[in-house]
Amino acid sequence: MLQFWKNSKIVSLHKRPLWFHSSLSVLSPTEVGGGSWAFCFSSAVRSSLQKQQSLPVRPIIPLVARISDQNASGAPPMTVREKNRLDKFKQLLASPNTDLEELRKHSWSGIPREVRPITWRLLSGYLPANKERRELVLRRKREEYFGFIEQYYHSRTDEHFKDTYRQIHIDIPRTNPLIPLFQQPAVQEVFERILFIWAIRHPASGYVQGINDLVTPFFVVFLSEFVKEHVENFDVAMLPLDTQRNIEADSFWCMSKLLDGIQDNYTFAQPGIQNKVKALEELVSRIDVDIHNHFKKYEVEYLQFAFRWMNNLLMRELPLRCTIRLWDTYQAEAEGFSHFHLYVCAAFLIEWRKEILSMVDFQGLLMLLQNLPTIHWGNEEVGLLLAEAYRLKYMFADAPSHYKR
Amino acid sequence: LAANRTYSFKVVLLGEGCVGKTSLVLRYCENKFNDKHITTLQASFLTKKLNITGKRVNLAIWDTAGQERFHALGPIYYRDSNGAVLVYDVTDEDSFQKVKNWVKELRKMLGNDICLCIVGNKIDLDKDRHVSVEDAESYAESVGAKHYHTSAKLNKGIEELFLDLCKRMMETAQAEERAKGNGASQSAATRRGVQIVDDEPQATPAGGCCSSG
Repeated sequence: MLQFWKNSKIVSLHKRPLWFHSSLSVLSPTEVGGGSWAFCFSSAVRSSLQKQQSLPVRPIIPLVARISDQNASGAPPMTVREKNRLDKFKQLLASPNTDLEELRKHSWSGIPREVRPITWRLLSGYLPANKERRELVLRRKREEYFGFIEQYYHSRTDEHFKDTYRQIHIDIPRTNPLIPLFQQPAVQEVFERILFIWAIRHPASGYVQGINDLVTPFFVVFLSEFVKEHVENFDVAMLPLDTQRNIEADSFWCMSKLLDGIQDNYTFAQPGIQNKVKALEELVSRIDVDIHNHFKKYEVEYLQFAFRWMNNLLMRELPLRCTIRLWDTYQAEAEGFSHFHLYVCAAFLIEWRKEILSMVDFQGLLMLLQNLPTIHWGNEEVGLLLAEAYRLKYMFADAPSHYKR
Repeated sequence: LAANRTYSFKVVLLGEGCVGKTSLVLRYCENKFNDKHITTLQASFLTKKLNITGKRVNLAIWDTAGQERFHALGPIYYRDSNGAVLVYDVTDEDSFQKVKNWVKELRKMLGNDICLCIVGNKIDLDKDRHVSVEDAESYAESVGAKHYHTSAKLNKGIEELFLDLCKRMMETAQAEERAKGNGASQSAATRRGVQIVDDEPQATPAGGCCSSG
């Protein structure tokens, strides 16, 4: 069975578009989605970059691309298949009682941009399936959130909370620093309020660096509902105040739902992360013993690179548009963020098998692992990654004897 | 033979969030400064090669995250380190207290084997200074550390800091080697990351302290 899996993996590698291998060409700051790219490269990675500088530049892919935008230059018109998919979503969403199971099934392979905001609200459990009740629930929840702000936000200067607020305040300008949208004062204030309110309502974890990144996809997706073109340069102050407030409240609630499922990632000593990194090591030792032994040989510890993969749900490793696509699936999976993510991390690691095995020292391996070249990734790569993750989960999740030594 | 050695040292940067650890190390390794870089999560690994009086030195640097919640991860990065750079922000008294905590922890866990540097960063903001030079320097002396002032923004004091640290680590390594006697040094030294390898043909590394100065 393992052999079968390995063979299929080879096939999928061959299907990779040609540009993939030459995609490390010129980088402009606006292309740096996840942020990790801004970091240093080993001289090996650098020289391979320089070698490829003369290759044609790929067009910049928007943060929240239409399904058809990604992996293609320009924006070709929607295909018949995509149109059918969108119609199916619209039909499900218009029904008096949306069939959430059916919605999950369709969302697994990606949600069309047009219906993503409402679909995310439904899948996260923020909006009820019953169509009639939605408007009332939305109004109440939004009021409730602004009630919290009124009640608690002034306490950010209190002795008891000032450290929490300080940490959030210094992290906000350092969240997605290369995307102009997030440098707008109005946007930074939204993030501060969301994070502060969440932190003081969850004292067991409080605010932990990394949680700031998790607001971003929700904010961008809910904002995209009101922005025709590229959201990365959109001036949020142009929107009516009510709209701005609704985006903020919805981002808060959906982020809260997400964090409910992974709070042990952020409590004292971060047991959720420790356990998942251990599980990743176990899993990799089963599915790719070459990589596992290679790490052992050069004394690379999984915690040294995979802690961040868990703490930030791979957001620092992937462009934001890919995270958004990934979260379509995470929200469609029963325990997407808390459990399926482990298999995605394993698939992600093995994606770089060739590059990993070609590095023959600790330094090279660490430099590679913290700067994986995903800058031009789009739906196609994420789709392949998810398919691999699904296969791994299928093989190992219900087979503890496969999974454990 | 002595001239042909390559030393490999591990260095860890520790300190409170937003004092400028990443800026220091990016300035040193890449000669870059950008006040818009991203929050460090967990830790980032960087390397730097330099040449000190004909001896090659490879630095492996762990730049760690500043938030208290990640404190438990500290040992992963500081164990086996030859040097530690403990950074505070001269405008922030709390960040200096945090340095003192790190000194205690490192001395307790690693004894006197590790070369400590205490670094007051952001001296470009000297008009807002909240940590006095005398206090910081006398504290450093009292714990057997050396004190430095830097500005990653203005590129001040950083080459000196790392060059000095390298020289101290080389002295420590040589003393260790002498103590162990020739040939017998391998086990203890390599465990702590001091590797002495045979010469290999190699171009003079760019950006090393000698070539740049």
